[in-house]
Amino acid sequence: MDLRVPSGWFFTLLGVILVVMGLIAPGYRLAALTDVNVNLYSGIAMLVFGLFLLLMARRAASKSR
Amino acid sequence: MKLAPVDYVILATYFAMVLGIGWMLRKKVSTSGDFLLSGRAVPVWITSLAFIAANLGAQELIGMAASGAKYGIMTAHFYWVGAIPAMVFMGLFMMPFYYGSKARSVPEYLKMRFDEKTRGFNAFTFAVMTIFSSGISMYVMGLLMHLVLGWSFSTSVLATAAIVLAYTYLGGLTSAIYNEVLQFFLIVAGFAPLAILSCVKAGGWHGIVSRLPSNMTHSWTHMGSAADNPMGVEVFGMVAGLGFVLSFGYWCTNFLVVQRAMAADSMSAARRTPLLGAIPKMFLPFVVILPGIAAVALAQMSAAGGAHLYDLPVKLSGGVWVKDYDQVLTTLMAKFYPAGILGVGLTGLMASFMSGMAGNVTAFNTVFTYDIYQSYIRKGAPDRHYLTVGRMTTIVGVALSIGAAYLAQYYNNIMDLLQFVFGFVNAPLFATFLLGMFWKRATANGAFFGLVTGTVAAAFTWGLTVAEGKGGVFGQVHTFPSVMAQNFWIAIVAFTSCFLVTVLVSMVTRMRKESELEGLVYGLTKIPHDENARWFERPVVLAVFVLVVAVILNIWFA
Repeated sequence: MDLRVPSGWFFTLLGVILVVMGLIAPGYRLAALTDVNVNLYSGIAMLVFGLFLLLMARRAASKSR
Repeated sequence: MKLAPVDYVILATYFAMVLGIGWMLRKKVSTSGDFLLSGRAVPVWITSLAFIAANLGAQELIGMAASGAKYGIMTAHFYWVGAIPAMVFMGLFMMPFYYGSKARSVPEYLKMRFDEKTRGFNAFTFAVMTIFSSGISMYVMGLLMHLVLGWSFSTSVLATAAIVLAYTYLGGLTSAIYNEVLQFFLIVAGFAPLAILSCVKAGGWHGIVSRLPSNMTHSWTHMGSAADNPMGVEVFGMVAGLGFVLSFGYWCTNFLVVQRAMAADSMSAARRTPLLGAIPKMFLPFVVILPGIAAVALAQMSAAGGAHLYDLPVKLSGGVWVKDYDQVLTTLMAKFYPAGILGVGLTGLMASFMSGMAGNVTAFNTVFTYDIYQSYIRKGAPDRHYLTVGRMTTIVGVALSIGAAYLAQYYNNIMDLLQFVFGFVNAPLFATFLLGMFWKRATANGAFFGLVTGTVAAAFTWGLTVAEGKGGVFGQVHTFPSVMAQNFWIAIVAFTSCFLVTVLVSMVTRMRKESELEGLVYGLTKIPHDENARWFERPVVLAVFVLVVAVILNIWFA
């Protein structure tokens, strides 16, 4: 098993959840000191990381074939 | 702190993920070696992240933020003076003997190099220590979940223990290691935003420096005398005690981390495991310590209404309110995180707890199966039998740690003491390894008596000295400025006495034949040369790179 596949999917999913939260409900349950759209920005970062892992796994799989 | 549905969804996704990884890896287990040693087939990027993740338990995460708030940037010494040089030494100089000897565990190396009694001594102390460490960390976590979220202590302890048991039982060490990597990513994803948000809110590093006393934002400037810095430690105690004895003792001889490097798929990968792990490790202080330091600055800033932006958490102790630094991390999360990322942060906390526990359990079952069961209870059984024993030990290990967690709940003081003892238990052991690996004259009796003397010397130093009103059960010969300084000096005493006694006894006992020491000792072992490897795959190149960056970080925050 290539660990990059499950962790890639995991972070992609996490990223999508956070981005959606950041876009449709930017004011939902904010904390006292929240003043930027944390969900949106960290969601984008996680999405990029997840897709990067998936891409790396894909490249490794096509090389070994 | 109250969780929203989305936070529970994230937490549930993570639980499904770790169980799924365990389930997918179950078919890879057919021998005891697959289960307990990962069949030595794990890629190097995975072993190196697992190497640092196994150490990054919940206590580490909560404790580093707490120390950040209590001691400031000096806490980074645990990384930039402590862990990094030790990890470099481990990869460059010690791994050839661990991996090359084909030993399956750290105690087994001691058996090959010295004899049965040294192995037995180490195997038993290590087994007891892992169970209690695992239990104490479960206790800390259960307490925190109760305090922060109002979850019942038993529910959070039992549920997380059940999940850790499920995935380690299914896929053994491979499953623990793979999940540790996922957990490492999640810890960074969950806490890096907190570090950024809290630091920006406090006005960046410059804003923090302008608000805090100078000795909290400079790691070396105030170390001339113990009285000048919040840790109460002077340069020598820090460098020799923490930087040399304690850190080398932990990172080079603790099977919990060494096991991750031993699972690598080649000698070269095994040597690069701690070296590659050192690269993210150097930058972890910015994720785990910085929020604690920023918290102190935030506590001095006022919002428009005049109230403080943040107040350091307090607890009632013996009728007085004292600061409760262990809650710094979670109270900061509550202040900064909206629903969504809060779920990720909390899941990161759970992940750190699980990676720490799985690390302890997988190290425990290997040492118990090979070094205790196979050596003292039943020798020479077919491998299938040891696979079953390994699996059963996993269940027993989890059950014993749960027991230790409840014990910790009722006997708080004993646990404090145990934690303090674990702090220096590896100190004499490092002298044994250093002499064993680099001095072929060191003998079995020398090692054993050195180790016993070192341990006894540590106990006496603790019993005869006092720090912060504690210790001194046998009398009061010396008073240390802080518990931290006492801990470092106990380690120095333990190491030195073990070193001296090992040398003295070795001189008067007979050395083993050189032919028996091949592959175990420097000078009688072929150290692999990596001329054929690409430059960035050579251990020496990596080591130099890591050390240069570590020096720069030390100077930057001096």
